[in-house]
Amino acid sequence: MIELRGVSKTVLSGGRPLTILHPTDLSVPAGQFVAVVGPSGSGKSTLLGLIAGLDTPSSGEIAIDGVEITGLDEDRLARLRGAKIGFVFQFFHLIPSLSALENVLVPLEIAGEGRPADKAAALLRDVGLTARGHHYPSQLSGGEQQRIAIARALANDPPILLADEPTGNLDSANGRHVVDLLVDVNRKRRTTIVMVTHDPELTERADIVLSMRDGRTC
Amino acid sequence: MRFIIRMAARELRSSWRRVAFFFICVAVGVAAIVALRSLIQNVRVALAAEARTLLAGDISIRTDRPWSDDARRIVEGRLAGVVPLRRTEIVDTTTMVRVTDAAGARTKVVELRGVRAEFPFYGRFRLAGNAPYSFDLLRGRGALVAPELLAQLGLEVGDEILIGDVTFTIRDVIFTEPGRRLGAFSFGPRVLVDRAALDETGVLGFASRATRQILLQVEAPVIDPLVAVLREDLQEEMVRVRSYRGHESRIERNLGRTENYLSLIGFVIVILGGIGVWSVTRVFVEQRLRSVAILKCLGATGGRVLAVYVTQIALLGLSGSLLGIGIARAALAAVPDSLAAQAATAAGLTTVSTELTGSAMVQGVAVGLLVSVLFALVPLLEVRHAKPLLLLRRDAVRAPAGIDWARVAAVGLVGAGLVAVAVWQAASLEVGLYVSGGFAGVAAALHLIGRGLVRAVAPLERAPWFALRHAALSLSRPGNQTRVILLAVGLGSFFIIGVRAMQTNLLGNFDRELRDDAPDMFLIDIQQDQADGVRAILEAGLGEAPPLIPVLRARVTGVDGRRLSFDSPRGARRAGLGREYTVTYRASLAENERVIAGRFWDEVPAAEPEISIEEDLRDERGLELGDTVRFDVLGREIAARVTSVREVRWDDTRSGGFMFLFRPGSFGAAPHTYIAFMQGPADGDARARLQRDLVARYPNVSVIDGLTVLQTVRRVLDYVTLAISVVGGIALLSGGLILVGAVAMTKFQRIHEAAIFKTLGANARMLTLMLVLEYGVLGILAGSVGSIGALILTWALARQVFEIAWFPSVFTNAGGVVVTALVVGSVGVVSSLDVLRRRPLATLRAE
Repeated sequence: MIELRGVSKTVLSGGRPLTILHPTDLSVPAGQFVAVVGPSGSGKSTLLGLIAGLDTPSSGEIAIDGVEITGLDEDRLARLRGAKIGFVFQFFHLIPSLSALENVLVPLEIAGEGRPADKAAALLRDVGLTARGHHYPSQLSGGEQQRIAIARALANDPPILLADEPTGNLDSANGRHVVDLLVDVNRKRRTTIVMVTHDPELTERADIVLSMRDGRTC
Repeated sequence: MRFIIRMAARELRSSWRRVAFFFICVAVGVAAIVALRSLIQNVRVALAAEARTLLAGDISIRTDRPWSDDARRIVEGRLAGVVPLRRTEIVDTTTMVRVTDAAGARTKVVELRGVRAEFPFYGRFRLAGNAPYSFDLLRGRGALVAPELLAQLGLEVGDEILIGDVTFTIRDVIFTEPGRRLGAFSFGPRVLVDRAALDETGVLGFASRATRQILLQVEAPVIDPLVAVLREDLQEEMVRVRSYRGHESRIERNLGRTENYLSLIGFVIVILGGIGVWSVTRVFVEQRLRSVAILKCLGATGGRVLAVYVTQIALLGLSGSLLGIGIARAALAAVPDSLAAQAATAAGLTTVSTELTGSAMVQGVAVGLLVSVLFALVPLLEVRHAKPLLLLRRDAVRAPAGIDWARVAAVGLVGAGLVAVAVWQAASLEVGLYVSGGFAGVAAALHLIGRGLVRAVAPLERAPWFALRHAALSLSRPGNQTRVILLAVGLGSFFIIGVRAMQTNLLGNFDRELRDDAPDMFLIDIQQDQADGVRAILEAGLGEAPPLIPVLRARVTGVDGRRLSFDSPRGARRAGLGREYTVTYRASLAENERVIAGRFWDEVPAAEPEISIEEDLRDERGLELGDTVRFDVLGREIAARVTSVREVRWDDTRSGGFMFLFRPGSFGAAPHTYIAFMQGPADGDARARLQRDLVARYPNVSVIDGLTVLQTVRRVLDYVTLAISVVGGIALLSGGLILVGAVAMTKFQRIHEAAIFKTLGANARMLTLMLVLEYGVLGILAGSVGSIGALILTWALARQVFEIAWFPSVFTNAGGVVVTALVVGSVGVVSSLDVLRRRPLATLRAE
């Protein structure tokens, strides 16, 4: 499902090259729940960004669902994300000018889904927020915003869900709620999940735990 | 597509309040385009319906001289075979009317027209009380007069006026008349009399300024061929032949040009709005980068995201344009019917509609839409560089290094697009380029002045006074709108201060001339046998008679020269020498002249005619020393060699000014008339008495009172100033709207800053003071931009175009800066009040 072969990332820092991800090989079979753990600055988010095609590797190759993505241009990557990858961020990143329902509608409309409103309503129901559909992000709590973000990430039934510390900005009750939701998605939909987290509870429930330190997997 | 439209509509829902002000600027410009175009198109429609009325016939054959035998013979020969044919003759002249009644003696320059019973072939007179016109009103020395004459001389219908030596009775008042030239300059009110009675007055003496016209009514198919043969036959005769169609098409052309030029005013205002749109889009995109990154993360391609924002701008531009149509409709509906009727009458038309026209609306909307999208395009291209990685790393690089060729191409496309719109609106490549270049030049100059001023106040950023320091700092805060406000508000105040300062300069020069020993009274058409008598009257009235200057009227018929060569009146017209020149002869230079090339003749009259030309004839028309110029003077041809070129100081009118000056002896004993320039008595009664005495004794002599002319000049200048001030006012309004919009755009940042300041101990008074200082400084800068621009403009116009003395109009400039500072200060502070009211905790929590 997800294949990384010798993928590395080097950036310029103060005019000098700084390797934030050393050459890494990784293979995540379909339907797995992978937790990526490690201290801050260990390269977790970089790895996730590379898998999502949000960043370009300095070396190596990445294949998503059999598609080699390292040579794709911005627009092809965007289409690939729309079809195959859902993303959940630590800071939710909902579009502030759109209501909760509209935030969920956006990926469906981008993909040209036939009846986007019905599907968005069903997704809101799945995350337990039917009543909050017409509220704007600023009117929702952090936990509610993150559940909307999960509904949005699942809108096009992507085979892969990437999550960057999805509970990092939530209190424990809301965090647990989000964890349950993600585990549920993995079990019921067989969605492959790669998640960066510091949350021990989430780590415990993962199929594979990938530890990182100083830009290396260990 | 569905995604693009829905997304654009949703985004608009949250952003329209913040960007609406910029599109109101677009609306104001579109309203100007639609209203002005509609009005003139309506005039054109009315004109087409009344084309024959404007000429009062099908064909007009006219000359500014008495009919020559040859011309008469040609005309009669050509008309002999035309059946059916109706013809009549008209004479127009400018002359004096006198009144002597119980209220005392008064005189007035009027435009006198003599008509026959057949006049007019088309159109109707509108007289006071809607009485029908009949030639019987003119029989037995009756006169119809314009209402102004009654008002100016204190007369009523039934009173008597003297023209020449003949007494006429005012039988009625004319409001509109057929055959009056549209928008023609007029020396005085119209007086209409019987053509035969006009001959008896004696005002059509030798060399008097009169236009004689033969008016024809013929069958439609005859018109064009007859005009063509008459033109061909009469081309050497100083006679103009014109059909109502030609007449109409000439006015139509002028109106078309006027329409296009006026719409350019609207275009410039739309451009101002466009600059606002550009500025707001820049900030808008800045604030939307995260949303763009999210959309890209969710699978939207760069092109689709760009399309979302272009659609938003297009929808706003369309709304602004439609609002502009609403404003135009309201503005025209607000014109009172009586005023519209009055304007139509003044233009010589029966009625002019005040409805908006379809074509004007389409043009307005198209310009509003195009300008909005074009101006937004370049800042919108930034969305291409918003990477979704931004969502993971705040420091994610957005713009790639190196030249962004797509951006360069877009800038080129936008520039070309705007020039194309200007060319389209002006309906002329040259004018479109000129206006675009002029606007770009003015904008660049004001921008540079603004930048210089901002730099000049930069030391204030280190001022010890906290409030002032922050006011100065805010001029260069991220996302600031300083540049665009300085440009838009500066442009508005530039227009207003500039035109007012120019008016002050022009009037100041007139006043200066009048205060000195400059002449303020002019006599024309003094016959040779009247010269001694006129001198005697002037001596009695002024103590000393001014010199009477001999003048002849001459037309250029040929030139043998190095740069210029032709041998027909048609050639003269092509060379820009077709008008009739008033020429004189004398042995010496006048006080306001000096020779700049060649050698001026000595006192001895010469047999071979010589002329001295004014420098413009050399520089603009191509005449040179040594050239031989042939003139038609009273039907006699005189060939004269150019032996010198003179510079004439036209602002010194004591000795008048002549384009062609002949050496004495050139004309032999040819009859001529005299003119005189003098300073009339300062006392009003004595002044009126002198005019009255002159006209009573010599009715054919016209006395032009410079003081009255100056009043007219002042009035015309007032109108022009008002018109340009209105344009400037609209530009200033746009500037104000852009300012309000800019405050709205950056309010989020302001509120955040204010919350931090409040947390750190700043009270509301301190924050208010900071706002007042910030917008006060901005206002002073904007006013100074306009004022400095206006100083440069007035200097350039005064010295280079009008060639008059320039003096800085201190009061106007200083007043302009103060008013601009007050306007900007008040608008800025009032629209920021919200910032002061917010509680800091709520703001910081929302963060």
